[in-house]
Amino acid sequence: MSKLVVKNVTLNYVNESKSWTKALENLNFSVDKGEFLSIIGPSGCGKSTILNLFTGLLSASEGEILLDGKKISGTGLDRGVVFQHYSLFPWMSAKKNISFALRQSFPAKSKKELAAVAEEYLAKMGLKGFEDKFPAELSGGMQQRVAIAKALAMDTELILMDEPFGAVDSKTRVVLQDQLLKMWDSGSERKTVVFITHDIDEAIFLSDRIIVMSSGPGRVKREIPVSFARPRDRFSFTKETGYAHLRNEIVNLFYDDLADKIGGEEVVL
Amino acid sequence: MRKIFRPADFIFILFLTLVLALPSAANTHSLYLAGLIAITQAIFVGRRIFGKNPEKIIALGDALLIVYIFLLLWELATSKFAWLDKFLYPTPGVVIKLFIEDMPNLLKGLASSAGLLIGGFSLALATAIPLGLYFGYKRRLKLAAKPFAKILGPIPPIVYIPYAIAVLPTFRAASTFIIFLGAFWPIFINTLNGVSDIDKKIMDSARMLNLSDRRMLLNVILPGSISSIMSGATIGLSFSFILLTSAEMIGATIGTGWYVKYFSDFADYPRVIVGIIFIGIVVTIITFFFDKLERYLLRWRKN
Repeated sequence: MSKLVVKNVTLNYVNESKSWTKALENLNFSVDKGEFLSIIGPSGCGKSTILNLFTGLLSASEGEILLDGKKISGTGLDRGVVFQHYSLFPWMSAKKNISFALRQSFPAKSKKELAAVAEEYLAKMGLKGFEDKFPAELSGGMQQRVAIAKALAMDTELILMDEPFGAVDSKTRVVLQDQLLKMWDSGSERKTVVFITHDIDEAIFLSDRIIVMSSGPGRVKREIPVSFARPRDRFSFTKETGYAHLRNEIVNLFYDDLADKIGGEEVVL
Repeated sequence: MRKIFRPADFIFILFLTLVLALPSAANTHSLYLAGLIAITQAIFVGRRIFGKNPEKIIALGDALLIVYIFLLLWELATSKFAWLDKFLYPTPGVVIKLFIEDMPNLLKGLASSAGLLIGGFSLALATAIPLGLYFGYKRRLKLAAKPFAKILGPIPPIVYIPYAIAVLPTFRAASTFIIFLGAFWPIFINTLNGVSDIDKKIMDSARMLNLSDRRMLLNVILPGSISSIMSGATIGLSFSFILLTSAEMIGATIGTGWYVKYFSDFADYPRVIVGIIFIGIVVTIITFFFDKLERYLLRWRKN
């Protein structure tokens, strides 16, 4: 069953020079329940814009987006979100950030219960002992772990992630990817995840399916299923048959767009 | 490592020798000056022994050096060599002695001034911050308020003083109102701007939580703009001081501003200087605690 359905979605916006620009054009795709879907594309292809349509922070100019069969209008507590930056309030401790959000999701629960849930999820993300630290006292990777703990603790069926590991160093990124997959796979029921990234390897490692976007205006270029068995091991799965082929296919899709723009010349990256 | 001997020490010893050894004119009370310097130096030495931050100690020593030189020149120019007119330029010893003796009067004046200041300034805080937050949050209200803030804000509130004293029934009401007015605009405008300056991504994260207006204002907008609010409050506070003392000099019968004005009418310049120094000390103490408060409220920032 589809968790999210994107139907004929077009988004126009007024750019800095006050003229109308098409950011997204006629998007059609859906995300299955329990699926891990990544959206990749060059910068400016509107992949973050799509995510903001899902969050409800933006609304489509044409077409509609259905969440559980109902049209999305505005933000909602049925969606957990992790942004690249500032998913946390800098003036709240790690624990307070989570319990503050939880109070919105579970208004009936007592503060004590919520604090306990917050501590539990922080511990799950390996942040025991950092509960009372402010975000500025944590490294970028730790901040993102708190943000993920928050999104998971809110226990929404849908989690939206906008380049959550884009600003952390590559070593930490690997750890965070593993941790995210472990958490995603450990519950009784997998949550639906929409994950925005520009990192091809990250997309392949994490996803059940990848949507490759092209830019100017943003369109779906190709949907590519990633059918490697789970749980995936970072080191062995790159040797599986089909991995190299899949990666090449995405790299080509990713960069031929770029080559077109520069006039078909060979691009040295 | 830590230097045992600092330039300030050298001046201190030179100072004490000069103050004690050179003959003074009559009634210059040089011993008061010597006493003050000795206490200051004792505190400085104590800091050096027990203090942890060497940079702070060096800065303190440098500041003391300047203070010592200034006081020494003052003492030499008045008490020792009488280069300056005795009537207009009292000796430091006389000022210190008066400062101590007149302390009960000064404190009484301070109590009155503090009452006005706290009244007017807290009224400004209590109205400007909530209004600024709410107006900043609601875009339409912000756009409506901006032109008023732009026109009314820059009027120097000092010009309201004579009119307010004439219109309002008591001096207390008039000066409270003027202090309120002087503090209101900088706090309101800074709060308004502080709300607009909150990072859009933080606001997006907050919007994802579908917060009620109350929780949004209290838990997101207020802490998010606290840094601007505090700088507005600091400006408002210094305006308040200026307005308070000006108002007191014009219409009061008690208070620190009145103290300075009253004794200058009698050409009692030693007391005028005492009053000025006293106000300086009070303002420094208040600013010190204000800084502490700001640091506490912004403790979540990196350093």
